[in-house]
Amino acid sequence: MSRSSYLKPDTVALHTGYVPESDHGSRAVPVYQTTSYVFESVSEGSSLFNVEQGGHIYSRITNPTVAVLEQRIAALEGGSGAICTASGMSALFTIFITLCSAGDHIISATQIYGSTATLLKHTIKRLGIECSFVPVNDEQALRDAIQDNTKLVFCESIGNPGLEIADIPRIGAIAHESGIPLVVDATFATPCLNRPIDHGADVVVHSVTKWMGGHGVAIGGAIVDGGRFDWEKSGRFPELTEPYAPFHGMRFWEEFGPSALAMKMRAESMRDVGASMSPHNAFLILQGIETLSLRMKQHVSNAKTLLEWLQQQDSVTWTNYPDMESNPSHELAASLFPHGAGSMLCFGVVGGRIGGAAFMDSLELASNLANVGDARTLVLHPASTTHSRLTEADMRAAGISADMIRVSVGIEDVGDIKADFARGFKAAQRVAGAA
Amino acid sequence: MYIEVRGNRTYAATGGKDFDSNLPTVMFVHGSGLDHRSWALQTRWFAYNGYSVLAPDLPGHSLSAGDALQSIEEMGAWLADFIRAAGVGKVHAIGHSQGFLEVLELARQAPELLKSITGVGTAGAIPVNPALIEAARESAGAAAEMLLMWGFGSDAQYGISAVPGMQPIAIGRQIMARNPLHADLVACSEYRNGSEVAKTIEVPSQLILARKDRLTPFKAGMAFATELGANVTVIERYGHMLPIEAPRQTLQKLRELIGPLENVK
Repeated sequence: MSRSSYLKPDTVALHTGYVPESDHGSRAVPVYQTTSYVFESVSEGSSLFNVEQGGHIYSRITNPTVAVLEQRIAALEGGSGAICTASGMSALFTIFITLCSAGDHIISATQIYGSTATLLKHTIKRLGIECSFVPVNDEQALRDAIQDNTKLVFCESIGNPGLEIADIPRIGAIAHESGIPLVVDATFATPCLNRPIDHGADVVVHSVTKWMGGHGVAIGGAIVDGGRFDWEKSGRFPELTEPYAPFHGMRFWEEFGPSALAMKMRAESMRDVGASMSPHNAFLILQGIETLSLRMKQHVSNAKTLLEWLQQQDSVTWTNYPDMESNPSHELAASLFPHGAGSMLCFGVVGGRIGGAAFMDSLELASNLANVGDARTLVLHPASTTHSRLTEADMRAAGISADMIRVSVGIEDVGDIKADFARGFKAAQRVAGAA
Repeated sequence: MYIEVRGNRTYAATGGKDFDSNLPTVMFVHGSGLDHRSWALQTRWFAYNGYSVLAPDLPGHSLSAGDALQSIEEMGAWLADFIRAAGVGKVHAIGHSQGFLEVLELARQAPELLKSITGVGTAGAIPVNPALIEAARESAGAAAEMLLMWGFGSDAQYGISAVPGMQPIAIGRQIMARNPLHADLVACSEYRNGSEVAKTIEVPSQLILARKDRLTPFKAGMAFATELGANVTVIERYGHMLPIEAPRQTLQKLRELIGPLENVK
């Protein structure tokens, strides 16, 4: 664990990365809506380009508002630094191409978000990077998949949409035995519920579009460098330990040590790919993070209450929530997520695919859309939307069935959510009965 | 670059440029449990502006091999061997915290190797709380946590970073947790030669002190500056970790002292 200050997490969420004195006393973090920054002199401009000093050059690479968000997220996750990106997917692409080159190999859990699976299976394959998929907590499969050219192991702390809990300490330990870092997508958990670095992860990725932002108004991603992985000792990462020609032969590990990865992502990917977060989006996401812990408490409370209610409904054929007692991952979830395993839950509804459609089409409060982690309750039918590009076999492997309804439980009064769902169940029963 | 010192592979940062012993050389010495990276935002400027830079990792620290040295006197002697191994005649020696005690000891044992000395966030003696030493004996990581909570000033505790997106306290913790912090703290605490050495210093000297320093209190630094007859600069609102917390101000003061001595602007 690395703390970034003596402040506690709830205070970090409100204050870290910004002090008012530096900006005319503005209590809120200002939006630096600018592309570029005036150099005081030619000498100062030169020193910024030579990394002789820190500072801002161009907002594709760094921006003061985005930097506040980066420093805040790094502190919340216990990392040495963070890079914010235009989206969660661009965060994943950034970490993959920073650690991998053509001819390299990734091992990923099978139970991951559909677009991430597509990125790993198809898009980066075109760049010459292969990916092997293994069931998330299958230790032997993971060991068997490790190759000489494996550069990272990837999983989601809570799988999307199957809600499998990754055994981060075990996966990390196996990866580390071979000098391989563990990259964890912690979008479904947020640092309020689980900090993967504390449990052995080396890099944490977020779609901050979701609970971190919480209001459903801005797209963004973040990559947190845990700062603990020894890139030199691993022997697998010349990208970080050997001279980097575009930066006067800089060796990032020698120069920056615990922040070598974050600095390399900044220097290379943000410069060359430019998937940067806009200052305005950073501002919006900062507003969300300020109340993150309050919202997560309510999200988790509502999810558990709704789950208990769903389990009593005749129209519900099955339910899934990571730490419900009948779930095989219950003990793991209780251990890694003591304050609750998020606010996502899944269930099957009578009538299969048509019952599910009738349920969703009759909802009024909950929104049918392709997002999660909004303060409002969201529902989705993964088989026909987010995971529709997968084959049936891949869908089964990802823990998805045709009757699955995915719920991102919001922070409304839970009685109103139940009433809305009750309306949906009546509709599902009607079509199920008719069939 | 790596050089051989007393048979051990020793790392010294050179500020991103090849080391050239013909240029005026500035040597940066890190504090307890830290390494060359604490000087990242000063060394590159000197290297790109007419100087050669040496920022060694002491034996057993980060990228340097060897066992940790057990006293400041040993560390001073090691610095002399290091300078000779690098093929340098004289250096401007800059030390942060414990690093400055080592520079004082270097001055006592090998004054011929020095052009000037500068202490940053330091004093002539640095007593260490026995509880902290005991904590470091048990766990460098836990002691680092304590040290950094006290060592960094308010802005850093609020997550302000000179390098956008980074968390200097977390970075420091990762470095210290892997290094022989216990040996360093014991050496620091036991060093008593400061006042004696101060009387013998003949090269220009400067102390850069932090008003909010809670590890080497400002008053102790000021008292030692008087003993040393050194120029004093006080940087307001920052804590003990000046090279990291206030890198621009620290660099500016270093330039102001060393530049005129070498006729480099």
